[in-house]
Amino acid sequence: MIKFLSKKIFNFVILLLLIIQIFFYIYNKKPSFDNFSQKNVTVENFSSIVLGKSGITKIGSEKLNKIDNENIYLEGNSYLENKEYKIYGKNISIKLKEEISISNEPVKVINSMGTLKAKGFKNLGYEGRIIFEGEIEFVINK
Amino acid sequence: MKVELFLKVKLNLLLINKSLYIVLILFFFSAAYSEGYVKASGSLIWDSENKNYTANGDVEFKNEKFIAYSDKMIAEYIEENNEEVFTIVELFQNVIIYFEDEVFKGNHAVYKRNDNIIVLTGDVSIESPTRLLTGYELIADIDNNKRILNSANEESLVEVLIGNDANN
Repeated sequence: MIKFLSKKIFNFVILLLLIIQIFFYIYNKKPSFDNFSQKNVTVENFSSIVLGKSGITKIGSEKLNKIDNENIYLEGNSYLENKEYKIYGKNISIKLKEEISISNEPVKVINSMGTLKAKGFKNLGYEGRIIFEGEIEFVINK
Repeated sequence: MKVELFLKVKLNLLLINKSLYIVLILFFFSAAYSEGYVKASGSLIWDSENKNYTANGDVEFKNEKFIAYSDKMIAEYIEENNEEVFTIVELFQNVIIYFEDEVFKGNHAVYKRNDNIIVLTGDVSIESPTRLLTGYELIADIDNNKRILNSANEESLVEVLIGNDANN
C-alpha cells in the first residue's frame, strides 16, 4: 500500500513539474531586441569607456548630457583618459562618430612628456592630433 | 601664566619656521623638476601619429642647454622607456637663442639632441659680451664649444671659439 502511494506521489510530482515548466514556457517573455533610444538624457557623476579608432578612452564628468546618439556634452569638471594622455577640463563636447572632443575652457593635460596647460582644446582622435589654443605652457618632465 | 605664554609664542614661531621651510622645499623641488618647457601664445598641436609638436605664436622653448624664442616651432620626439623625448627642434622666423653668455639670431634654426648642434640660417648673428659677428649660416657645436659662421656667398668666414680663453 505504501509502495503504491509513494509511486503515485512521485508521478504527481513529475506531472506538477511538467505543468510548471509548460507554464514558464508559455508566460516567460523573450528578451527584447528593440533598441530604446531616448534623447536629452542627463546623468550625474558619470564615468564610462568609449571604444574608438584611437583605442579605449575613459570619460567622466560631473554631469553628462546626451544630446543625441552621436553627441554628448560633459558638463562641469570632466576628464578624458587613454593610454597616451589624461585631459582634465570643463564643459567638453564629444562627437562620438567623428571621435572629436572640443572645449573652450582651461584644460590640463598630462602625458609621458610632461604637463600642458591651455585655454582650450580640440582633440581629433581619429587623426591622433590634439590642438591646444590660447596661452599654452607645456612643462617638460626631467 | 608667563610660562604658558612663552610656550605658546615658541610653538607659533616653530610652526611658522616649519611652514616656511616646507614652502621653500616645494619651491626648489618644483624649480629643479621643471627641466624644460614650451610656451606659446597662439596654438600648440600635438600630433601623436607623426610624433611631433607644433607651436605657433611667440614661442619660447627651454631645455637643459639653452632657451630659444621664435614665431613657430616644430619639435620631433621619440619614446624612450615610456617617456617622450625631443630629438629635433626646428625654429622658424625671428629666432633668438640664448646660450650661456652668447645670443644667436637668425631666421631658421635646427637643434639636434643627438649631437647637440644648432644650425642657424638666414641673417645670422652671434653676439657675445666682446663681439658681434654676422653671416648667413651658423653651426654651433655646443659640446665641443665650436662656432662656424659662413657668409652667404662663396667666400666664407670661419670662426672657431674654444673654451673660455677665446674672449677677445
